[in-house]
Amino acid sequence: MAELDSLGKVISTDVLIWGGGIAGLTAAITVKEKSPDIDVLVVEKATVGWAGKADRGGGILAFLTPNDSPEDFIRFHVHHVGCFLEDQELLSEYAHTCNSVLDRLDAWGAKVAKEKNGSWKYVKIPGLDVPWGLAGVDLDMCRCLHRHAKRLGCKFVNKTALVDLLKEGDGVAGAIGFSVEDGECCLVLAKATILASGSQNYRVLPMWSPGRGDGIAAAYRAGADMRNAEFGSFVNMVHAVSREVIFGAEDHMYNAGGEDVTGRYRTGIQSDIYPMAAVGWYREHLEGRGPVRVNSDENLLQIGSEVLFATDLIWERPAANAFWSRLWEKAKSAEVGDIANMPEVVPGFIGEQSPVKVNHDMATTLDGLYAVGDVSYSGSAWTGAVPSPPGRIRGTGLMNAVWSAGKGAQAAAEYVKKVEGASVVDYTQAAALKEKIFAPAHRDAGVEALELVRGVQKAIIPVRYSNWKSESRMREALGMILNVKDKLEGLKAKDPHDLARCNEAESMALCAEMFYRASLERKESRGWFVREDYPSTDNANWLKWIVLQYEDGDMALTTEDIPIERYPIRP
Amino acid sequence: MNSISIDLDKCDGCKSCVKACFINVLRWDKTGKKPVVVYAEDCVHCNMCEVNCPKECIKVTPDFAYMQWSAL
Repeated sequence: MAELDSLGKVISTDVLIWGGGIAGLTAAITVKEKSPDIDVLVVEKATVGWAGKADRGGGILAFLTPNDSPEDFIRFHVHHVGCFLEDQELLSEYAHTCNSVLDRLDAWGAKVAKEKNGSWKYVKIPGLDVPWGLAGVDLDMCRCLHRHAKRLGCKFVNKTALVDLLKEGDGVAGAIGFSVEDGECCLVLAKATILASGSQNYRVLPMWSPGRGDGIAAAYRAGADMRNAEFGSFVNMVHAVSREVIFGAEDHMYNAGGEDVTGRYRTGIQSDIYPMAAVGWYREHLEGRGPVRVNSDENLLQIGSEVLFATDLIWERPAANAFWSRLWEKAKSAEVGDIANMPEVVPGFIGEQSPVKVNHDMATTLDGLYAVGDVSYSGSAWTGAVPSPPGRIRGTGLMNAVWSAGKGAQAAAEYVKKVEGASVVDYTQAAALKEKIFAPAHRDAGVEALELVRGVQKAIIPVRYSNWKSESRMREALGMILNVKDKLEGLKAKDPHDLARCNEAESMALCAEMFYRASLERKESRGWFVREDYPSTDNANWLKWIVLQYEDGDMALTTEDIPIERYPIRP
Repeated sequence: MNSISIDLDKCDGCKSCVKACFINVLRWDKTGKKPVVVYAEDCVHCNMCEVNCPKECIKVTPDFAYMQWSAL
């Protein structure tokens, strides 16, 4: 310990939680509820209670209403959402237990909307016949959970960017990072580490911006397996001028000739948002029929200029109303000049890549490392061939965050009880990581992080690369990503905030590489995954999960057969 | 890029805005005990600083042209 002290501030804890959003806070509360004697430390790059995406999203919870059965949900999910790529055993557990999420959030002080008789107030998605409903929670849920976690004795370190995992043998023994304010190196030694750092969203769309893949990249570099990385290309239709999401836009699109674009590309049963909306938009432009506009008068998710989920039309949610009304008031001031009831739309790339592979306890393939919430949504595989939500079921993001964090935290608490003695991290390993992490701060000249971020964005945002996939276009995009990777060695940071951006640029390049390498391997189309050159689903050859692993500096790729013969629902 | 203006005469130094920013655009000036806009280029106009300021002394003005990209 004395030697480690010379590298920076050293903190010891039983459980380290990397990320203070909704999943991290749930994990912290769950460990303390289960085992009050276990020390819990949450480390967050921004400020716990305000961090993450949860309080800047829809605040909706896709749960099973009294009229929905778990069996119907499972059947619908396998056929129309995850398309047989689910771990059906974990999906079944989710379907039978996910409704407890609403009880837990309510008990922890989050404001889940209720009817006068105390039941959950919910709405069915207009125009869709699906076996779930949407409950509403106010957008101050993280502040509520933070207060509860504090009362239980959880500890918090804010404004600290964790970058890499510390190892003890093959297991994980904590993490290393730095203060984004003063740049002091920080080493956290922990018996168990829970990653709750969110999905990779390449800092494109505003409200998804904090998901920059730091935790995914760290887990990968430490040797954890990644699974389903090829599904991380979520895209939402947004207003061409303000780039704000138009809820329901994908269902009522028309080209410049007034032809129904949605009707042309929305084929088969679609549970919710579907990838062909962006592909359709792209093809209409490619074939000279752009721009694409949305007929707001037909949009069932909007009533006048009000958006169904985001106002008090269904639920009374003061924090959500304050947030959404301010956001849209400003967007509308910019949209003056566009045709009010026929606004032009463009695909807004998000990503929602969430590939950290976990088992049914949310344990990664590394001892002592768990991954919960959006960081492992696809990696858990209960979700099948989809990116993290909004994905193909809006409202599953919050549900999965709380559900998976509860499971992972319980398993981590059990793990901690079996660990004898404090974590030991050798100086040489920690010193080498520190030197690597701080290298951009010590360069006199070099490339700026934001320049490389823009380089990654150019290779991932265009529909023709990431959503309307083909071998040649993906190879072109992968080449662009590898070009960015080559420049990472020359990053220059002007201050600790910029040093965090350098790590984010590296994380984005790594995640994009995972996406394209896995996507090139999957030679079929399935669920969210669409290839121009392999348009059909291939159940004979592709009932497989693609697994990526860091091996001697390279990205090794293997496949894992889905045990479909063990599952009740088969193609 | 987006611009964020703070009326420091009205600001009572409650620090809500610094906490509310989920990507560290604002920093806390320990000497002056007031918030400072340091990384406006990272601001994504979520408006959480503005909405949660009890003195209503912060104004975020989005620059929508700054965040345009080509999806083609």
